[in-house]
Amino acid sequence: MQSLSKLVKTPWFLGCLVLIFVAVVMWNIPIEKRKYGLSQGSLVTDYTGLLPEHIERVVTAENRNDLQRIVKQANENGKKISVAGLQHSQGGHTYYKNGVVLDMRTFNRILDIDEQEKTIHVEAGATWEDVQEAIQPHGLALKVTQSQSIFTIGGSLSVNAHGRDIRFGSMAETVKEMTLLTPEGKIKNVNRDDPDEWMKYVFGGYGLFGVILEVTLELTDNDLYTIHTEKLKTNEYESYFNRVLKQPDTAMHYARVSVAPSSFLDEMVVINYDHTGNKNHKSVLKKEEGVRISKMALDAGRKGGTLENLFWATQKRYIASLDGKEITRNNAMRSESTFMEYTKPGRVEVLQEFFVPVESYDEYLTDLKDIIPADDKSHDFKVHNITVRYAAKDNFTTLNYAKEDMLGLVVLIQHGLKEEDITNAESLIQSWTNLTLEHGGTYYLPYYRYQTKEQFKSSYPNWQDFQEEKLRKDPNQVFQNMFYEYYVK
Amino acid sequence: MKFNSTRYLPLVVTVGQVVIFPYYIIWLKQVSLTFTLFAWFFASFSFAAAWGYRIYQTKKNKERSFLFLIYAGMGVVYIVIGFIKNSYEYLPYIVLPLQVTLGLLQGYFRAWHSEQDTYHLHAVHHYLIVGFMMIGFSFVKIISPVVFITIFGVLLCICGAWEFFRIGQLRDPEKV
Ligand SMILES: Cc1cc2nc3c(=O)[nH]c(=O)nc-3n(C[C@H](O)[C@H](O)[C@H](O)COP(=O)(O)OP(=O)(O)OC[C@H]3O[C@@H](n4cnc5c(N)ncnc54)[C@H](O)[C@@H]3O)c2cc1C
Repeated sequence: MQSLSKLVKTPWFLGCLVLIFVAVVMWNIPIEKRKYGLSQGSLVTDYTGLLPEHIERVVTAENRNDLQRIVKQANENGKKISVAGLQHSQGGHTYYKNGVVLDMRTFNRILDIDEQEKTIHVEAGATWEDVQEAIQPHGLALKVTQSQSIFTIGGSLSVNAHGRDIRFGSMAETVKEMTLLTPEGKIKNVNRDDPDEWMKYVFGGYGLFGVILEVTLELTDNDLYTIHTEKLKTNEYESYFNRVLKQPDTAMHYARVSVAPSSFLDEMVVINYDHTGNKNHKSVLKKEEGVRISKMALDAGRKGGTLENLFWATQKRYIASLDGKEITRNNAMRSESTFMEYTKPGRVEVLQEFFVPVESYDEYLTDLKDIIPADDKSHDFKVHNITVRYAAKDNFTTLNYAKEDMLGLVVLIQHGLKEEDITNAESLIQSWTNLTLEHGGTYYLPYYRYQTKEQFKSSYPNWQDFQEEKLRKDPNQVFQNMFYEYYVK
Repeated sequence: MKFNSTRYLPLVVTVGQVVIFPYYIIWLKQVSLTFTLFAWFFASFSFAAAWGYRIYQTKKNKERSFLFLIYAGMGVVYIVIGFIKNSYEYLPYIVLPLQVTLGLLQGYFRAWHSEQDTYHLHAVHHYLIVGFMMIGFSFVKIISPVVFITIFGVLLCICGAWEFFRIGQLRDPEKV
């Protein structure tokens, strides 16, 4: 005790204490610092916070009977209801002015796993991470999900999400059965043969056709893959991709296009996950790794110019270093996400996704060079990343973005929040959308609505069917959100 | 007691630091955003202050206390804060060393101050002055915490310069 108090008196000891503490804090400075969502003061927002709105209250989903009662009451007293998962959608899809928000995050139990049938029965507020943790010990994996596992099942089905898998079609196709709380307050079990075609509208229905309570999802094996990476010129990609599609060995695939000034839209890297013929029942689910380093690299790239060239070179090197490595299917479906956090006041980072038919890809990217500057260092509107995914033709859902086999370009964009910055971003994205439409493409709806209503209507020609069915199935228009109000109502 | 600078400067510094504290806290809160980080920033300040305090206490030649450097150092930290643009990606990494520097200098200053004859008188005066000043400030509509922090930084730099010239004046006769 005495020696300790002696030690505390020595300046060098105190100095060391300070240095060690500082090092520990430096390493642990939290990356996720933003506040968004249902708990922010009296105004709620979603992932980007671009559409703050006052709501009446948030109801935490505890059990289906409570939810049923709320919906029935809303039908009687004219209240409006929105449904929220993890609110990663960015255009006010999860709330409505003065409405009630159902927070589905607590509705997250795993109800049953059938190893023989390869299915899981789960509540819709569960995240893909919850599902992966439950199915991993059974040697099973999801058929279709996003590349990250941070979303809820209900939220993902309501946007009919897609990811790296190139074999199993759309996410909607992997649902065997669903329990739905309808706009009239009935609880219904529906399957694909349902005469009322609920699935056709609920999947990709943005929470406007009821609350998905439970789903039974088809699973596949947690196969072990070898990662295969390659560098390509953009004009080689189309034929490369068609070859990949014909070659059954590749289970998953995605690519990245350069947005660095020195190789803007000219260079690409591709990443394939090829079958090894082995399954892996023992491997653990990977945690977020290298978050701090990746964030620093991305932050540097966000500055544009030379730093963006450097970032692209680093990405190429990193991706090349993955070549030949093995990874399980579950781990390929749970990429890091925290490093993407962006918290600069007065600026926002948003996602947009444009889909073009596979055979239009080359010309589309060539034409895109006329719209987006190669070096955005001195521009307010900055493009940081473009990832390319495959979205297989979807004949099932009404608001379907893949009318034929499409390539989706997921674009990470940053711009200022001053009025003129937002107007500039809007006009650039609208030009980009027009170009996409000219090439027979469309754009994705979970993100912020920079597009005009006309562009929505051209992209989604079935929108009228969607609107009519909404009024038929939800005559009191109980389910509402800002997305519906802007585009469809 | 003979010199005005020993009589008044420590009082200015002590009062100023307490007065600036609420503004500094508002700024620090904006920078840290999470309570955990906010608390860690304070912990780093505190550890560094203990270190600074001990450095002065174990100093052999207490006459040579380099107070002008301490004042100017603190002043520079506050001025740097005034120039920082709220760029959140890297800000916490910059704030941490600033907290350590500030803690170290303040600990050192406090140890020196507590050994001065004026210390106990200053303690009483500073409580009273701070009280009245805060009442006065409550009527000033806050422009931005950073404005006040910068002004205080400049004031501290002036104190540093004052102290520096005082040392010069003391030395000159010795040379003769
Ligand atoms: C960083 C990032 C990466 C992304 N990557 C991809 C990707 O790779 N592929 C892709 O396709 N998309 C991607 N997205 C979009 C993402 O898939 C959607 O935003 C998805 O909806 C997020 O799920 P969530 O739980 O956050 O849903 P929320 O945003 O909470 O909700 C989305 C919609 O679903 C409705 N909803 C939520 N729960 C239910 C329920 N139980 N019943 C009925 N309706 C419900 C809501 O009302 C809303 O309209 C990405 C988004 C981000 C921010």
